[in-house]
Amino acid sequence: MSLLTSLFPVSIPRISISQENSMSQSRIDLIDNPSPRCPVALVLDTSGSMAGQPIDALNAGIRIFIDEIKRDDLARWSVDLAVYSAGGKAQRIQDFVGAEQISGFAPLAASGTTPLGTAAGMALDDLEARKRTYRSTGVPYYQPWLVLISDGGPTDAWQDAARRASEQSARRKLVSLPIGVAGADLTMLSQFSSKPAVALDGLKFRELFQWLSASMARVSASTSSDTEVQLPGIDSWGSI
Amino acid sequence: MTFIIRNAAGESVQLADMPFARGGEAAVHAVPAFPGVVVKLYHPDVLQKRSAEMRTKIDAMTADPKLAAFKQHPGLAWPRFSVFDERQQWRGYAMRRAEGVRMTVLAHAMAYREHFPSLDRPALVAYLLSLLTTVQELHTANVLVGDYNPANFLCDPGSGTVALIDCDSWQVDAGGKRFRCPVAAPDMLAPELQGKQLGGVDRALESEHFSLAILLFKLLMLGRHPFDVVGGASPVENIRNGHFPYGMGGGGIPKGPWFNIWSHLPFKLKEQLVRTFREGSANPADRTSIAEWIKLLKLYKREMSKKYHDTVIKPANPKPKDYLGSQPISQPIIA
Repeated sequence: MSLLTSLFPVSIPRISISQENSMSQSRIDLIDNPSPRCPVALVLDTSGSMAGQPIDALNAGIRIFIDEIKRDDLARWSVDLAVYSAGGKAQRIQDFVGAEQISGFAPLAASGTTPLGTAAGMALDDLEARKRTYRSTGVPYYQPWLVLISDGGPTDAWQDAARRASEQSARRKLVSLPIGVAGADLTMLSQFSSKPAVALDGLKFRELFQWLSASMARVSASTSSDTEVQLPGIDSWGSI
Repeated sequence: MTFIIRNAAGESVQLADMPFARGGEAAVHAVPAFPGVVVKLYHPDVLQKRSAEMRTKIDAMTADPKLAAFKQHPGLAWPRFSVFDERQQWRGYAMRRAEGVRMTVLAHAMAYREHFPSLDRPALVAYLLSLLTTVQELHTANVLVGDYNPANFLCDPGSGTVALIDCDSWQVDAGGKRFRCPVAAPDMLAPELQGKQLGGVDRALESEHFSLAILLFKLLMLGRHPFDVVGGASPVENIRNGHFPYGMGGGGIPKGPWFNIWSHLPFKLKEQLVRTFREGSANPADRTSIAEWIKLLKLYKREMSKKYHDTVIKPANPKPKDYLGSQPISQPIIA
């Protein structure tokens, strides 16, 4: 338990939103802004082993991601972001919200075990709920993204969430992208997708999140929610 | 790396080092010595696969006398001549430098405010008329756009005109040969073309009419897709099923300003949209032609100048005269 969470038993918001983010607020956003959405769920290992440089680099990467998305004149209206952490316990740091509505991001701290399975399960549940909201408001959506980052492997029951993610990814209903930081169990992480996990080159979180925002820009600029989008290469951050 | 390119006669010119636009297939470079011209250079991996095929098409597009006028057309970035690198390898072509903001930003519920802050309905109609007039000229010359990607239509807020780029992907009859259009976004495609291998299909005028109606709707409705329907299916499935939610017999109009905007459009325009998207879904002959759209849009423009129609982008309320029942006026009513 980090000092902060023991001082504040109620979970503190990590991402600040310009307006109050009730469910109805995010529905209103979908009513006024019918741009096709690309939902992205970040599931982040914030366990003890990430403490120090890795968590700092991860925090800096997320900040860059949010900034770059908000600078793109189409992606900022199309990317919906949700963030989950697995450090001691699994937490929903932010349910899906339009990138345009995000006004700040408080850095994550690292401590405890890695309940990655629970965190990924939460993300997949929220994604289903988000898709239902899209359908009920008549907003089209691109293939959702699940980005899973860990420097180890799950310490909880992860098989169920992994099976769900990998099944959806095999059916092309989800882009599931497990990413291993040095020391990660890539074999286990690969179970979360129909494609193998990618090893992060050193602590190139900056490059990873720049690639992710560039990918989001390409997806948001594609005319059709049904087309294949050619993504930029991952050589800037993936190690071979 | 500095880029020096040559034309077929061997005259060379230097390109700007950094491309000002870059896509999956090619990069576009400015030519400092000729500010009105840009050069499209295909990426080496694309050239390796399709250089001969692409060169044949570009050479035909630049050489056919029936198409020569397009090279000077202010609304087109038509290929002017092939360009080669220092080793005499074909690399791409030179074209007019088109100015403007991608139509994806104009046909967008939020993004338009930044680039088109003073946008009103007469301005939207002017962009549409500019686009339709150019496409009509292309059709007359047996050139079909095929790939109605709004990112390739540049809108110039200064002149209110539209320039079409990426002409090399279109279906062109040139030099006695047909060059097909192998690509398209499914969201913009007529039902008869959905799921087809487009490289093996000859596009028809009627399919163009369907795509143009989608584009017209999206522009008039701030990017809302005509086949966005509440309750499940994707726009592409709705296109296949002919499920257009607006107008009599529709259903599933999304909440928001959309019904209000729709109710303020002239009845004749709405009638043709309903016809094209509903009857025209299965019967390509029942789709509104460009000549008819131009007539209707010119009439809309004239009527707006006489204040018959609201000129604001998002009217606050539905048009009162469309009110047909006993519900409160804020309820969506069938137009």
